[in-house]
Amino acid sequence: MAVISAETENSSSKKVQITKEIGRSLWQDAWHRLAKNKLALACMIVFSFYIVVSLLVAFGILGATWSTTVGESYAAPDWNHWFGLDIFGRDVLMKALVGTQVAMSVGLVTVMISVPIGLLLGGISGYFGGVVDEIIVWFCSIISSIPSIMLLITVTFILGRGIFAIYLALGLTSWVGLCRMIRGEVLKHKNRDYVLAIDALGGSHRRKLFTHILPNVFHIVIIDASLTFQMAIKSEVILSYLGLGVQDLPSWGKMIDDSKLELARGVWWQLGAATLFMFLILLSLNFLGDLLRDALDPKLRGQE
Amino acid sequence: MMNDIIDRTNAKMNKGETVFEIKNLTVEFNTSDGMFKAVDNLSFVIPRGKTVGLVGESGSGKSVTSLALMRLLTRNGHITSGEIHYQGKDLVKISEEEMRSLRGSKISMIFQEPMTSLNPVLTVGDQLIESIQLHLKLNKKDAFEKALALFKQVKIPQPEVKIHSFPHELSGGQKQRVMIAMAIACDPELLICDEPTTALDVTIQQEILDLIKSLQVSLGMSVLFITHDLGVISNVADHLLVMYRSKLVEEGNAQEVFKNPKHPYTRGLLSCRPKLDANPNRLLTVSDYMSEDGTALKVDPARLVEVDRQGSRVEKIKESEDILVIRNLKTYFPIRTGFFKTVRNHFKAVDDVSFTIKKGTSFGLVGESGCGKTTLGRTILKLVEPSGGDIIFKGQHITGLTKAEMRPFRKKMQIIFQDPYSSLDPRMSVEKILSEPLEINSPEMSRSEKNHIISTLIEKVGLRKNHLKRYPHEFSGGQRQRICIARALTLNPELLICDESVSALDVSVQAQVLNLLLDLQEEFKLTYVFISHDLSVVNFMADTVAVMNEGKIVELESAKNIYQNPKHHYTQKLINAVPKITNYPVFALN
Repeated sequence: MAVISAETENSSSKKVQITKEIGRSLWQDAWHRLAKNKLALACMIVFSFYIVVSLLVAFGILGATWSTTVGESYAAPDWNHWFGLDIFGRDVLMKALVGTQVAMSVGLVTVMISVPIGLLLGGISGYFGGVVDEIIVWFCSIISSIPSIMLLITVTFILGRGIFAIYLALGLTSWVGLCRMIRGEVLKHKNRDYVLAIDALGGSHRRKLFTHILPNVFHIVIIDASLTFQMAIKSEVILSYLGLGVQDLPSWGKMIDDSKLELARGVWWQLGAATLFMFLILLSLNFLGDLLRDALDPKLRGQE
Repeated sequence: MMNDIIDRTNAKMNKGETVFEIKNLTVEFNTSDGMFKAVDNLSFVIPRGKTVGLVGESGSGKSVTSLALMRLLTRNGHITSGEIHYQGKDLVKISEEEMRSLRGSKISMIFQEPMTSLNPVLTVGDQLIESIQLHLKLNKKDAFEKALALFKQVKIPQPEVKIHSFPHELSGGQKQRVMIAMAIACDPELLICDEPTTALDVTIQQEILDLIKSLQVSLGMSVLFITHDLGVISNVADHLLVMYRSKLVEEGNAQEVFKNPKHPYTRGLLSCRPKLDANPNRLLTVSDYMSEDGTALKVDPARLVEVDRQGSRVEKIKESEDILVIRNLKTYFPIRTGFFKTVRNHFKAVDDVSFTIKKGTSFGLVGESGCGKTTLGRTILKLVEPSGGDIIFKGQHITGLTKAEMRPFRKKMQIIFQDPYSSLDPRMSVEKILSEPLEINSPEMSRSEKNHIISTLIEKVGLRKNHLKRYPHEFSGGQRQRICIARALTLNPELLICDESVSALDVSVQAQVLNLLLDLQEEFKLTYVFISHDLSVVNFMADTVAVMNEGKIVELESAKNIYQNPKHHYTQKLINAVPKITNYPVFALN
């Protein structure tokens, strides 16, 4: 807002009531705005809860006994088993918790594979331009012209079934969007005067790209990561539902697949548990993505 | 119907009648830092058929006033008290529906940026016809006739052809004319012009000002003209309002205010603009007339001394050595067309330019946008590769040097850009921004040495040490430009290229930065290449002036001669376009 910067020279402190702390970077500024937002806080709490659950499962503290039979087949939910039991008398809640760990690890590993690829290729392509740019853009077009589900199925067929195949399949196919966005932003920033000023000072390519341009486009990475994360969770569910996903562990997709036959017999709890667990994390990641964009995008500053 | 028109014409002839009356208007903005009063208890009248000038620096509340008149404030802005009377109605109280019927028909507005005010996918004629049909309920054919008449009225060349053009096919001045045509289409009673010429070249600025003036007379409408530059408004306004920090500080007949300004702020504003016919040692600024808390100050007589600075420096120029010699410099950009992107032609941005700059002097480079002056500045620094010719810096040819060989020369030549908002990395603190040049060029320097250099420099450019921890978005435009100057000086350069370095600043801030540049020149024995479209600024700064047009230097003379005795007709045109404050008084004694 132009009105707020109503200060004449040499009077920076007098005119405007500076209630904000001074010397706050744009990152700190974004964090403060995010922390003030109750919805963002709630989403972050949900996300942290899922992370904690996944860690507990990963270290065998929680859900290690999911495969033991604890009661009758298809026993309805009660106080001991909140989401009832499945066909073999296993606790559905335990299965859903182990499924959480599978889903979260898929999300995390996918982001860890796709973000570096997208960032690197996008940065190089936008910064150097020319033939390198044309090759990378051509490669992006090829990948995005193949229907993603077909690409995923192909990759899992080649790599064999299992969770590692899913990690790789999702990671190697989901970097295209990020790459394109980074390329566009880098193109815009590399012609800004502050980068030209580094040229005038004799700065290297490395300094211009890594010290100046990339920090200025990094907010896109954070926003994109939150969206890729939830996309990966959804894709894992779909792949597992199709029988191409994880094999020996329970997953939300497999639970939904199982419940196809159960619903006819009035057994809704397996479907209910998987859907609820999935719904909560996807919703909060979606909100978080939007809120992150609002907080981090310099263009939207001061419009609240 | 006929009577109606006669009545209206009579009403327009009736002088001294008030169209708008604004009483005790207060506008507040709800920001994340609390309530901000943008307009504070403002009262004024707009008489029929007169031009009212509203002057103030950015952030003074002048644009907010005009938006409040139109009831177009953003969602966080509110008119908290006051009345706006028009035809017996209070515009603050009427419904949004009623207000909408007034907007564009009775009150219309033109903005600063004609480039973004037009829809790029429709022809300008279609956009004009659309607004005519909307307000006047004409059929397509009559609306077209009306549009064509309007195009002729705002003097767009070849109106029959231009009416079918898309916005990108028109020049900036022509686009602003289209905006004016749209604004006057419904014969409004009030035309609000919000800095309508700030984004335009000087020569075009004058044409647009003349057009607004002549339309105002022929249509008998009232004009509210908003600007930060008293020079622009001096020939246009009948009545003048000066705003400072949300408040009205001075109002009166324009001639009176120019001759005998009462408020120290107005005096400061009038004095801070460089003039073509006077050459003071330093420009007077608002702070010479008024202290921080608004009390009037007695101007230091030493500051008022008008010296023939250029004359006294001529001798010095003769003695000093050449720091930069440019010989037949050419910068061509290839124009690639066709499927295989073959080079068919060249755009000659800099075309066979030669000149010499002496050490310790200022070399002015003037011209309109697109004349190649920025490319020339960047070519000298080899930010753009020259296509031919020689650049000789301190006796050494730097034209063919590689990036690594260029490195030692980079320390000696620096540049300050035009836009203080894009020339600082928004993610870096000022301290990091200033230490970066040292990191690149003297990596062996110790932390404490760097800190010493930086903290000395930040005070030299008029900022404080505690500013180092802050980030660029926490500074105003003038302060950012000071940071840019400090960054350019960290390496102790000898040649400094100022590329339109003060054009984006308010006149009052511009004067302070110009004074700073002169102080620094004396202290560090700097040589300036001063690039600007504003002749009065170049006249104030430069010893030698080169006038550029279409990539060529058309006139190269000492600053004094070029203004007193311009030889080339293009130079003449540029000089005539500078807005002059007639009867320029000297406010020596308060």
